[in-house]
Amino acid sequence: MLKSIKSFLIPLFGLIFLSESISLCAKDNVVRLTYWPSSNPEEIELATSIVDEWNRTHPYIQVDMQPLPASQSSEEVLFTAVAAKTTPDICSNIWPGIVPEFALANALVALDKFKDFWDVAFLRTTKNILESFISKNGHIYQMPWKGNPIMMEYNVRLLRDAGIFKPPRTYAEFMNAAKELTRDTDGDGTIDQWIGIINVNPVWWHRFFDFYSLYIAASRGRTLFENGKVDFNNEYAKDVFRFLQEGFKKKYFPMGTLQGNQFLLEHVAIQFVGPWDIGFLEKNKPENFEYDFAPLPVPEGTPEPILTYSDPKNIVIFSTTKHPEEAWEFVKFLISKENDLQLLKITYQMPFRKDLDIDPAFKKYFKENPKTLKFAKQISYTRGTDNIPQLKEIFDAIAQAFEYCCVYGQQTPEDAIKNATEICKQIIER
Amino acid sequence: MNKYENNRVGYLMGLPYIIFFLLFVAYPLIFSFILVFHKWDIIGPMNFVGFVNFSHLLHDSLFWKSLGNTLIFLAIHIPLQIIIALVIANILNQKIVARGFFRAAFFLPVVISGVVVTMIWQQLYSQETGLFNMLLSKISLPKIPWLISTKLAMPSIAIMATWKNVGLYIVLFLAGLQNVPVSLYEAADLDGATGVQKFLHITIPMINPTIIMVLILSTLGGFSLFIEPYVMTGGGPMNSTLSCVLYIYKQAFYFNHMGYAATLGFAVAFIIMIVVIIQRRLFETEIYT
Repeated sequence: MLKSIKSFLIPLFGLIFLSESISLCAKDNVVRLTYWPSSNPEEIELATSIVDEWNRTHPYIQVDMQPLPASQSSEEVLFTAVAAKTTPDICSNIWPGIVPEFALANALVALDKFKDFWDVAFLRTTKNILESFISKNGHIYQMPWKGNPIMMEYNVRLLRDAGIFKPPRTYAEFMNAAKELTRDTDGDGTIDQWIGIINVNPVWWHRFFDFYSLYIAASRGRTLFENGKVDFNNEYAKDVFRFLQEGFKKKYFPMGTLQGNQFLLEHVAIQFVGPWDIGFLEKNKPENFEYDFAPLPVPEGTPEPILTYSDPKNIVIFSTTKHPEEAWEFVKFLISKENDLQLLKITYQMPFRKDLDIDPAFKKYFKENPKTLKFAKQISYTRGTDNIPQLKEIFDAIAQAFEYCCVYGQQTPEDAIKNATEICKQIIER
Repeated sequence: MNKYENNRVGYLMGLPYIIFFLLFVAYPLIFSFILVFHKWDIIGPMNFVGFVNFSHLLHDSLFWKSLGNTLIFLAIHIPLQIIIALVIANILNQKIVARGFFRAAFFLPVVISGVVVTMIWQQLYSQETGLFNMLLSKISLPKIPWLISTKLAMPSIAIMATWKNVGLYIVLFLAGLQNVPVSLYEAADLDGATGVQKFLHITIPMINPTIIMVLILSTLGGFSLFIEPYVMTGGGPMNSTLSCVLYIYKQAFYFNHMGYAATLGFAVAFIIMIVVIIQRRLFETEIYT
């Protein structure tokens, strides 16, 4: 009996030992990558779907997805991670304004060192967009991924009720519409409906979605710097400040912070947003809520097409990675046509893909989601930010000038823009 | 157990705190002091710049404005807090109905998250839709630009901070009041002293150590004003609510000027020390025992 048990158990343990050894050897060959996407629910859903598919089809390169740790801004988290050398292998929520600082600190892998980088990049993205992300040293550290062109979102019913049947195109048309739309609807002596809402807090990144987008639109695509020199003391910037100042002065924009989504509550008729708002509105809008998008308002005489800020978010590989080649393979998978379609479907955000609006792969999607098609057409007419390491300070200076001039009317647009450019010059020279 | 073993056990008992102190107090303090003489953006190399950060501080008008704003906050917040806390503590020290309920109710805001309180008050103060302005409109009074006036924004924050923190100081004053010997009041009654006279000549002198403690705690708390302007106003309007700590935070975490932020931190610590010394000189008196 004992002998027969022995004769059964010994081969059994032998088999278990053998299979464990094989399994351990196999595990040793598996490369593990860490990937940080943005932490909003839609992008977590997208990342989960992409990573699941990747892990299923790439058993020897497994990706662990971890949403960017929560903080006031992604940039703060990433800075801390770079300082502590706890960066992931790949991150897809990179604001290009932060890249020059990371590149200077050798925190990023230069993507152009991969043999097929330019082939892959040119196949997907336009030359103009790619060139705008090349660093001063000639290398490119970020793969252009997605953009959120800032457009004018308007409440069709509110405009129609005010006798406005097409969205305002110029500043003058905007102010005329504002006269009709800003009013006390319930007769209690308090204004409770405005044409638009602009965040009044002097926080640097808020200015991307008002001053900077409007400046790009007014100037037909100029950014704040030209050949590395501060270059926004011009009529376009002054026009934008004048426009915003008039809006606040005439109380067409509410002062302070209002609770809840004022556009959804139909307290404001117009806001400047990216395509992400479509997802939010489609989930939360009440019945008969009609909205649409149009290009940003511009000064009289600005020719078509109207440009805007792209609010880009790109993909980087951090230099802490032990597996750059495998990370690059995953980046290529992230930006594949299939996953760009997923990006559109789940998040409503626009991949930086050339001919997006006419590519047959996306035709069905845009037919089913006609509002997103406007953003797909707009994505070719966008600008990002300058490749300047001090960009946050530059935008802080603009935020201060915006507050003094536009919100509180304490400075003329001419003085405010002049002072802001002087401060920006000092920041660059320091 | 001999003396050596006895000491060893003592050291072992103290070891967790010693490690904590070295890691989280001594090391950051020494490192911050080193930073004062450097330019550092967290992710790049540290560059020695000598006294450049001090020189910058002396000429930095925004720092002096933030210091002025903080002093305005303290000038409103501290007297308001001490007076309200003292009056309420005095009432809660009497045999009133539902005393336990009121003691708990006044303490409640202290345990609520600062961010939550700030966001609620931000809505209460809202120019267009806030409750305060709606109530003013109901009684035909003009709206008050609580958070959008450069003159009113900091006082508005001081009122909110007082509401949030006063419960803690009520508890401290209550403890102080309960230590005042009843015999002193009885003797004063025999001498025909009025309630006000007893309050001024017995209560106040007897709880002077508590008043000094509350004064110092309020000053320290006031100098660390951060959440309220950060959440409510972002330092605006026109930097009128930019506090010292918010300015340090912006320098450190918006712009990555770690050396300069450390310099600002040491400067503020030095100023707090001076203010507390002055307060103690002015208000500390002998107490009756």
